[in-house]
Amino acid sequence: MAIIEATSIRKSFFDAATGRETVILDNISISATENDFLILLGPSGSGKSTFLNIIAGLTPHNGAPGQVRVHGQPVLGPNPKLIAYMFQDSVLLPWRTVIKNIEFGLEAQPLSKEQRRKRALKYLDMVGLRDFADYYPRQLSGGMAQRVALCRALALETDIILMDEPFGALDEQSRIILGDELVQIWRKIRRTFVFVTHSLTEAVYLGERIAVFTARPGKIKTEIKNDLCRPRAIGSPEFNRMVDTLWAAP
Amino acid sequence: MPRISPAVARAAIVLCILAVWEITTHLSSASRILIAPPSEIFWQVVNILATTSNVPKFYPNAWITIQEFIGAFVITAALGVALGFLFASSKLIGDAFEPILLVLYAIPKVILYPLFVLMLGIGMVPKIIFGITVGIFVVIFNTSAAVRQIDPDYVKLAYSLGYGRLMTFFKIILPAAAPTILAGLRLGFGYTVIGVMAAELLVVTDGLGSLIDWASFNYYTPQLYGLIFITLTIGVAGNSLFSVLERRWVR
Repeated sequence: MAIIEATSIRKSFFDAATGRETVILDNISISATENDFLILLGPSGSGKSTFLNIIAGLTPHNGAPGQVRVHGQPVLGPNPKLIAYMFQDSVLLPWRTVIKNIEFGLEAQPLSKEQRRKRALKYLDMVGLRDFADYYPRQLSGGMAQRVALCRALALETDIILMDEPFGALDEQSRIILGDELVQIWRKIRRTFVFVTHSLTEAVYLGERIAVFTARPGKIKTEIKNDLCRPRAIGSPEFNRMVDTLWAAP
Repeated sequence: MPRISPAVARAAIVLCILAVWEITTHLSSASRILIAPPSEIFWQVVNILATTSNVPKFYPNAWITIQEFIGAFVITAALGVALGFLFASSKLIGDAFEPILLVLYAIPKVILYPLFVLMLGIGMVPKIIFGITVGIFVVIFNTSAAVRQIDPDYVKLAYSLGYGRLMTFFKIILPAAAPTILAGLRLGFGYTVIGVMAAELLVVTDGLGSLIDWASFNYYTPQLYGLIFITLTIGVAGNSLFSVLERRWVR
């Protein structure tokens, strides 16, 4: 049963002054199952981030006949009990330490102080940053900051984690290392990940299913199942074949 | 060459200036009516504080002025920060009022003080109100700038985590805006003090301003320097308090 179900989603802006409608997303239909690793792949301006925001309930879509359902229920707004969201830059609060930043994610939930701390420490362990719990964000590198942001999202213990190009601002090596860690965490906690990227390599490296978006107006060109065995080798023949398939998709 | 800390260098500079001041006053033939050496000023201050000088009713007057500082600043801070938030959160109100405020800010309000006295009488009230009019602008401008400059991603983060408006205000907006607001309060305190002292000197009734006026009128120059020094110290103390708060917050 699909955990995320989006049908006929349309998103546009109407400029009253010029009478022009700018279509960001045109008739997007896609679903994600439990324990899926879905990649939304496309160039800049293809509306993939907007679509992610729509799933997260952060942005509305044009309405009927389009609808987005999570666990069968329509999405009306953000729901931190079901969906966790990771931004492109880590958005850590500079006046709080690492561990208090993770607890910030939980302070809007009915949890006690001890429960919040326990969860924060558990997931800090998972991303390997336990020793940095009392550091301030300005003392962290870009990769570490994104790990903290991931940790904050994981600590919500939601069924779905949405990620908007979280590795975009990092260097190549950090991207690969964090990508590996992300896959390991995904296999361990068995949740649904939806990951936006413009990198073909990243898409093939990480994803189980890849939805390819076109540029504005955003449509889904094709959906490809990526059944390469893990661990995947960047540069191997089968890897490159998959990349070619994505690139040449009609 | 050994490392000299800035604090030590600063102390050395101040001591040098005081030494030069002391020596030149003793060596020159300038009358004691014009300039007093630091040593004499120091003793004057001690005498004034011990009420053994001829300054009349020092503590009652000082207390009046301090009350005016506190009253003016508390209202400046509360009203200024509140208005700053209001102007930042409502585009309509902000756009409507801010040009008016900028014009008012540019007027040298000192020339309006006699009007204040006419309308509000003689006493602490016109001085407090005047102090507020001088200090409130910088608090409003800093507060509204602080709120406007908050990274919208922080607010988006709070929204995605299910925070309501009240929690977002206390956990995101207030901490994010705090450094700039504190800077505005620090400047606002300084301006409020200037406003109150200007009022006390323009229409002399009571307070430290009246003592300063008494000393200059009677050519009691050392006492004048002493009183000025004491007034300065109060102003600097307030400023330092805010600097400490700012530094502690920015960590």
